[in-house]
Amino acid sequence: MDVRAVDDDHREFLDATLPYLDAVWQVARHAAVDGQDPEDLVQETYLRAFAGFGSYRGGSTRAWLAAICLNVARSQARRRQRRPREVPGPAPLDVLPWSRADGGEGAADVADVVIAGLDVEKVSWCLALLPEPQRVCITLVDVAGYTAREAAEALGCPRGTVLARVHRGRRRLAQLLAEARVSHGEP
Amino acid sequence: MESHEQLVAAFLSGELDPAQARRWDEHLLECETCWRAVQEDRAGRQAAQVLRQPAPPGLADRVAFAVEVAAAGGTPAQRQSPLPARLRRRGRPGRRLPRRLAGAGMLAVGVAVTLLVVLLPRGRETGSMPPAVAAVARYAQAIPSPGGNQGSHPAGRAAPVEVGRPVTVTAGGQTIVLRIWRLGGTEAVVAVSDRPFPMPANVRGVPGMAMAWTARAGTVSLYCLNGTTSELLAGPVPGAELEALAARLPPA
Repeated sequence: MDVRAVDDDHREFLDATLPYLDAVWQVARHAAVDGQDPEDLVQETYLRAFAGFGSYRGGSTRAWLAAICLNVARSQARRRQRRPREVPGPAPLDVLPWSRADGGEGAADVADVVIAGLDVEKVSWCLALLPEPQRVCITLVDVAGYTAREAAEALGCPRGTVLARVHRGRRRLAQLLAEARVSHGEP
Repeated sequence: MESHEQLVAAFLSGELDPAQARRWDEHLLECETCWRAVQEDRAGRQAAQVLRQPAPPGLADRVAFAVEVAAAGGTPAQRQSPLPARLRRRGRPGRRLPRRLAGAGMLAVGVAVTLLVVLLPRGRETGSMPPAVAAVARYAQAIPSPGGNQGSHPAGRAAPVEVGRPVTVTAGGQTIVLRIWRLGGTEAVVAVSDRPFPMPANVRGVPGMAMAWTARAGTVSLYCLNGTTSELLAGPVPGAELEALAARLPPA
């Protein structure tokens, strides 16, 4: 949707952007770190988008909202990092309620194990272990439903880069889940 | 030329054109490495998709309200868009909002009524107030005045009851958590902020309370008490009732 055709009016702003609230919510849930409230992040995203609505140059509206959401999350995280920091806790995999495997499983087994035992909490933990660029791309494409082109627009990088990050991230996510023995047949 | 990993991701995302997809299918039949990569990619994709979660009920209303407050509260967005005058000229300011709020519960209805009030002439009575105070006052204007035969005086040792769910808004650069509390026949908005609410022009001090002030905004009384946080109570009742309510509220 080309928002340049939309008058700079807060009702029209809401009509143009609220349909993408669910996508922004997915992005905010995974961009929120260090105690950030995803709902606050969504609200701040919309307030900043509203402030910049008049000067928005067009393109995909939901890609534009995702870019704002990610920027808000990063700037808030930087602000928090300047405050006194708490001693970090154990690495996520060390506190997971399931044991880690020794590795060495075949690639075909990885896929079988992962698909057999999907669990939201465990997937979320493993997603958090991915490098940020891969995590963000997977969040946009697989969780929030953006196309690779929209994700590329939101991130300001080529579409091929998004596709490569998504692929590496998915494979790494599958391997992490398999290593953690996310399966019904867990010993 | 796209790399194999880009082709795998594009294939599984359904983004290959028919010619690319046909060539890719042919390649997969011959290449064990790519076949395994596809299996892992598919597994990772299915895993990530279980993380989809619908937005919480009420988030759309909260966002809409925050934008409405920003539009009416003198933020940069409002300066770009003289909204109240244009919306009044339309003469149907609440037409679309109730549709968005359908089924969202009592609080959502309260927000809808509030937003209507913002756009009605009475809403202009808060125009000269600091944006944060004006936002709270406008929110309180949606509360109906207590009936004459219901007795609005909070009696006995009854505890206040919270009505609906809290709403967080930003007005005048200040983050405010709004709640509605009921005590006896009195309902009032209780707004809490980490920053002191700016004092409006018509403010009066409260005897014996150095950090408190009261004021009027149209039909709404305001009572502000400053401590670790700043609490601003607003409701269509005499200021004394707000003081009584404030004394019985649990700590913010």
